[in-house]
Amino acid sequence: MRAVATNLAGDVGRNVPAVSSALRPLPHVELREWGGPALVRGKRVLDLGCGDGRLALGVALLATRVDGIDPDPDAIAASKRNARKAGVRNVRFATGAAQHLPYPDASFDLVILSWTL
Amino acid sequence: MVDALGEIHRVLAPGGILVDARPDSRVPAYAERRTPRGSQRFGVLKTNRLELANDRMSDRAIARVVRDGLFKWRRRGRFWHRMPFSSLAELRKYLSEHLRFVHRPEWVVDAPTRRRHANDQFVIRRAVRYELLEPLRRPRYITPTRPG
Repeated sequence: MRAVATNLAGDVGRNVPAVSSALRPLPHVELREWGGPALVRGKRVLDLGCGDGRLALGVALLATRVDGIDPDPDAIAASKRNARKAGVRNVRFATGAAQHLPYPDASFDLVILSWTL
Repeated sequence: MVDALGEIHRVLAPGGILVDARPDSRVPAYAERRTPRGSQRFGVLKTNRLELANDRMSDRAIARVVRDGLFKWRRRGRFWHRMPFSSLAELRKYLSEHLRFVHRPEWVVDAPTRRRHANDQFVIRRAVRYELLEPLRRPRYITPTRPG
Protein backbone atom coordinates (compact mmCIF):
# COMPACT_ATOMS: atom_id res chain seq x y z
CA MET A 1 0.00 0.00 0.00
CA ARG A 2 2.75 2.40 0.92
CA ALA A 3 4.45 1.92 -2.43
CA VAL A 4 1.27 2.74 -4.32
CA ALA A 5 0.52 5.72 -2.14
CA THR A 6 4.01 7.10 -2.39
CA ASN A 7 4.02 6.65 -6.14
CA LEU A 8 0.74 8.51 -6.48
CA ALA A 9 1.69 11.23 -4.10
CA GLY A 10 4.91 12.01 -5.92
CA ASP A 11 8.04 12.92 -4.12
CA VAL A 12 6.31 13.93 -0.90
CA GLY A 13 8.72 14.96 1.77
CA ARG A 14 11.13 16.74 -0.51
CA ASN A 15 9.40 18.55 -3.33
CA VAL A 16 5.71 18.67 -4.09
CA PRO A 17 3.75 20.45 -6.80
CA ALA A 18 1.78 23.47 -5.68
CA VAL A 19 -1.73 22.22 -6.41
CA SER A 20 -2.29 18.53 -5.94
CA SER A 21 -4.00 15.98 -3.77
CA ALA A 22 -0.43 15.02 -2.92
CA LEU A 23 -0.59 17.82 -0.37
CA ARG A 24 -3.07 15.81 1.66
CA PRO A 25 -1.95 13.17 4.12
CA LEU A 26 -0.81 9.91 2.56
CA PRO A 27 -3.48 7.17 2.60
CA HIS A 28 -1.56 5.02 5.08
CA VAL A 29 -1.15 8.01 7.40
CA GLU A 30 -4.87 8.78 7.35
CA LEU A 31 -5.73 5.13 7.80
CA ARG A 32 -3.37 4.80 10.77
CA GLU A 33 -5.04 7.75 12.47
CA TRP A 34 -8.55 6.41 11.85
CA GLY A 35 -7.80 3.05 13.41
CA GLY A 36 -5.33 1.18 11.23
CA PRO A 37 -5.59 -1.38 8.41
CA ALA A 38 -8.22 -3.43 10.28
CA LEU A 39 -10.72 -0.72 9.45
CA VAL A 40 -10.40 -1.57 5.74
CA ARG A 41 -9.13 -5.15 5.57
CA GLY A 42 -11.59 -7.43 3.77
CA LYS A 43 -14.20 -4.68 3.54
CA ARG A 44 -16.26 -3.25 0.70
CA VAL A 45 -15.26 0.40 0.63
CA LEU A 46 -16.85 3.46 -0.94
CA ASP A 47 -14.67 6.56 -1.35
CA LEU A 48 -17.10 9.41 -1.78
CA GLY A 49 -15.58 12.42 -3.52
CA CYS A 50 -12.63 10.30 -4.55
CA GLY A 51 -10.99 12.94 -6.76
CA ASP A 52 -8.00 11.44 -8.56
CA GLY A 53 -8.31 8.22 -6.56
CA ARG A 54 -5.53 8.98 -4.09
CA LEU A 55 -7.22 7.34 -1.11
CA ALA A 56 -9.24 4.69 -2.99
CA LEU A 57 -6.07 3.32 -4.58
CA GLY A 58 -4.20 3.64 -1.31
CA VAL A 59 -6.62 1.34 0.54
CA ALA A 60 -7.36 -1.01 -2.39
CA LEU A 61 -4.68 -3.54 -1.49
CA LEU A 62 -6.35 -4.14 1.86
CA ALA A 63 -10.00 -3.98 0.83
CA THR A 64 -12.06 -6.59 -0.98
CA ARG A 65 -13.45 -4.00 -3.34
CA VAL A 66 -13.29 -0.22 -3.56
CA ASP A 67 -15.71 2.04 -5.38
CA GLY A 68 -14.83 5.67 -5.96
CA ILE A 69 -17.38 8.26 -6.98
CA ASP A 70 -16.90 11.94 -7.78
CA PRO A 71 -19.02 14.54 -9.60
CA ASP A 72 -16.01 15.73 -11.64
CA PRO A 73 -15.56 13.65 -14.85
CA ASP A 74 -11.97 14.89 -15.25
CA ALA A 75 -11.12 13.65 -11.78
CA ILE A 76 -12.68 10.27 -12.56
CA ALA A 77 -10.68 10.05 -15.80
CA ALA A 78 -7.53 10.79 -13.78
CA SER A 79 -8.44 8.19 -11.16
CA LYS A 80 -8.92 5.54 -13.86
CA ARG A 81 -5.54 6.44 -15.35
CA ASN A 82 -3.95 6.20 -11.90
CA ALA A 83 -5.58 2.80 -11.30
CA ARG A 84 -4.23 1.47 -14.60
CA LYS A 85 -0.79 2.87 -13.80
CA ALA A 86 -0.80 1.28 -10.35
CA GLY A 87 -2.15 -2.04 -11.69
CA VAL A 88 -4.98 -2.07 -9.15
CA ARG A 89 -7.88 -4.25 -10.27
CA ASN A 90 -10.39 -4.23 -7.42
CA VAL A 91 -11.28 -0.55 -7.81
CA ARG A 92 -14.10 0.95 -9.87
CA PHE A 93 -14.58 4.63 -10.46
CA ALA A 94 -17.75 6.39 -11.54
CA THR A 95 -19.04 9.90 -12.00
CA GLY A 96 -21.93 10.74 -9.73
CA ALA A 97 -23.33 12.84 -6.92
CA ALA A 98 -23.42 11.91 -3.25
CA GLN A 99 -27.13 12.75 -3.07
CA HIS A 100 -28.02 9.93 -5.50
CA LEU A 101 -25.64 7.05 -5.07
CA PRO A 102 -25.98 4.41 -7.81
CA TYR A 103 -25.57 1.48 -5.41
CA PRO A 104 -28.04 -0.91 -3.79
CA ASP A 105 -28.88 -0.71 -0.10
CA ALA A 106 -26.33 -2.02 2.41
CA SER A 107 -23.66 -2.57 -0.25
CA PHE A 108 -20.66 -1.17 1.66
CA ASP A 109 -18.95 -1.85 4.98
CA LEU A 110 -17.03 1.41 4.99
CA VAL A 111 -17.80 4.79 3.46
CA ILE A 112 -15.02 7.37 3.44
CA LEU A 113 -15.55 11.11 3.14
CA SER A 114 -11.99 12.34 3.04
CA TRP A 115 -11.77 16.12 2.64
CA THR A 116 -15.16 15.98 0.95
CA LEU A 117 -18.00 17.10 3.22
CA MET B 1 -25.17 17.51 2.97
CA VAL B 2 -27.85 15.90 5.08
CA ASP B 3 -29.27 14.32 1.89
CA ALA B 4 -25.85 12.88 1.10
CA LEU B 5 -25.52 11.53 4.65
CA GLY B 6 -28.97 9.93 4.25
CA GLU B 7 -27.75 8.20 1.08
CA ILE B 8 -24.61 7.04 2.88
CA HIS B 9 -26.82 5.59 5.60
CA ARG B 10 -28.74 3.70 2.95
CA VAL B 11 -25.69 2.13 1.25
CA LEU B 12 -23.94 1.24 4.52
CA ALA B 13 -24.40 -2.33 5.69
CA PRO B 14 -25.40 -2.94 9.33
CA GLY B 15 -22.28 -2.61 11.47
CA GLY B 16 -20.60 -0.49 8.78
CA ILE B 17 -18.64 2.67 9.43
CA LEU B 18 -18.65 6.17 7.97
CA VAL B 19 -15.36 8.07 8.18
CA ASP B 20 -15.52 11.84 7.79
CA ALA B 21 -12.12 13.52 7.68
CA ARG B 22 -11.31 17.11 6.78
CA PRO B 23 -9.06 20.03 7.72
CA ASP B 24 -9.90 21.40 11.15
CA SER B 25 -10.52 25.07 10.55
CA ARG B 26 -11.11 25.68 14.26
CA VAL B 27 -7.37 25.32 14.71
CA PRO B 28 -4.95 27.67 12.92
CA ALA B 29 -2.37 26.27 10.52
CA TYR B 30 1.29 27.22 10.89
CA ALA B 31 4.06 28.01 8.46
CA GLU B 32 7.37 26.67 9.70
CA ARG B 33 10.98 26.39 8.59
CA ARG B 34 12.82 23.19 9.32
CA THR B 35 16.08 23.79 11.18
CA PRO B 36 18.69 21.31 12.41
CA ARG B 37 17.27 21.74 15.90
CA GLY B 38 13.61 21.37 14.99
CA SER B 39 11.09 23.76 13.49
CA GLN B 40 10.90 27.52 13.58
CA ARG B 41 7.37 28.89 13.27
CA PHE B 42 7.19 32.08 11.25
CA GLY B 43 3.53 32.53 10.50
CA VAL B 44 -0.04 31.63 11.27
CA LEU B 45 -2.54 30.80 8.50
CA LYS B 46 -6.18 31.47 9.16
CA THR B 47 -9.03 30.00 7.17
CA ASN B 48 -11.15 32.37 5.08
CA ARG B 49 -14.72 33.11 6.13
CA LEU B 50 -16.39 31.22 3.32
CA GLU B 51 -14.48 28.04 4.11
CA LEU B 52 -15.18 28.52 7.81
CA ALA B 53 -18.89 28.77 7.04
CA ASN B 54 -18.71 25.63 4.87
CA ASP B 55 -16.94 23.75 7.64
CA ARG B 56 -19.56 24.83 10.17
CA MET B 57 -22.31 23.65 7.80
CA SER B 58 -20.60 20.26 7.59
CA ASP B 59 -20.34 20.12 11.38
CA ARG B 60 -24.02 20.94 11.68
CA ALA B 61 -24.98 18.30 9.10
CA ILE B 62 -23.08 15.62 11.03
CA ALA B 63 -24.58 16.80 14.32
CA ARG B 64 -28.04 16.70 12.82
CA VAL B 65 -27.86 13.13 11.51
CA VAL B 66 -26.55 12.06 14.92
CA ARG B 67 -29.38 13.92 16.62
CA ASP B 68 -31.88 12.33 14.24
CA GLY B 69 -30.57 8.90 15.11
CA LEU B 70 -29.22 8.01 11.66
CA PHE B 71 -25.71 7.63 13.03
CA LYS B 72 -23.92 7.47 16.33
CA TRP B 73 -20.37 8.56 17.04
CA ARG B 74 -17.87 5.78 17.50
CA ARG B 75 -14.66 7.78 17.74
CA ARG B 76 -13.35 11.25 17.03
CA GLY B 77 -9.86 12.66 16.87
CA ARG B 78 -7.41 15.07 15.34
CA PHE B 79 -3.90 14.82 13.99
CA TRP B 80 -1.32 17.19 12.55
CA HIS B 81 -0.54 17.01 8.86
CA ARG B 82 2.73 18.50 7.62
CA MET B 83 2.92 19.64 3.99
CA PRO B 84 6.58 19.93 3.01
CA PHE B 85 7.95 22.37 0.44
CA SER B 86 11.42 22.30 -0.98
CA SER B 87 11.87 26.06 -0.78
CA LEU B 88 10.28 29.27 0.40
CA ALA B 89 9.27 30.00 -3.21
CA GLU B 90 7.33 26.70 -3.39
CA LEU B 91 5.50 27.50 -0.18
CA ARG B 92 4.61 30.98 -1.44
CA LYS B 93 3.38 29.55 -4.73
CA TYR B 94 1.17 27.12 -2.90
CA LEU B 95 -0.32 29.85 -0.73
CA SER B 96 -0.95 32.11 -3.69
CA GLU B 97 -2.99 29.34 -5.35
CA HIS B 98 -4.66 28.03 -2.24
CA LEU B 99 -7.65 30.21 -1.49
CA ARG B 100 -8.62 28.50 1.73
CA PHE B 101 -6.11 30.47 3.77
CA VAL B 102 -6.00 34.16 4.62
CA HIS B 103 -3.39 36.11 6.59
CA ARG B 104 -0.54 34.84 4.45
CA PRO B 105 2.62 34.67 6.52
CA GLU B 106 5.75 36.58 5.56
CA TRP B 107 9.05 35.47 6.90
CA VAL B 108 10.34 38.73 8.37
CA VAL B 109 14.11 38.55 8.14
CA ASP B 110 16.70 40.57 6.25
CA ALA B 111 17.34 39.76 2.58
CA PRO B 112 20.73 38.02 3.08
CA THR B 113 19.19 35.68 5.69
CA ARG B 114 16.25 34.91 3.43
CA ARG B 115 18.60 34.18 0.53
CA ARG B 116 20.79 31.99 2.73
CA HIS B 117 17.83 29.89 3.83
CA ALA B 118 15.70 30.07 0.66
CA ASN B 119 16.29 26.39 -0.09
CA ASP B 120 15.67 25.11 3.41
CA GLN B 121 12.68 22.88 3.86
CA PHE B 122 9.51 24.76 4.69
CA VAL B 123 6.38 23.19 6.07
CA ILE B 124 2.73 24.07 6.52
CA ARG B 125 1.39 22.28 9.55
CA ARG B 126 -2.37 21.98 9.72
CA ALA B 127 -4.82 20.07 11.88
CA VAL B 128 -7.00 17.34 10.36
CA ARG B 129 -10.05 16.14 12.25
CA TYR B 130 -11.84 12.88 11.75
CA GLU B 131 -14.97 11.20 13.00
CA LEU B 132 -16.01 7.57 12.78
CA LEU B 133 -19.77 7.09 12.78
CA GLU B 134 -21.91 3.97 12.90
CA PRO B 135 -25.27 3.79 11.16
CA LEU B 136 -28.29 3.12 13.33
CA ARG B 137 -31.13 1.19 11.79
CA ARG B 138 -34.08 3.07 13.25
CA PRO B 139 -33.87 6.85 13.00
CA ARG B 140 -35.40 8.41 16.11
CA TYR B 141 -36.64 11.54 14.38
CA ILE B 142 -35.95 13.26 11.07
CA THR B 143 -35.55 17.00 11.44
CA PRO B 144 -37.51 18.75 8.70
CA THR B 145 -35.25 20.50 6.17
CA ARG B 146 -35.45 24.27 6.28
CA PRO B 147 -36.82 25.84 3.10
CA GLY B 148 -34.20 27.54 0.96
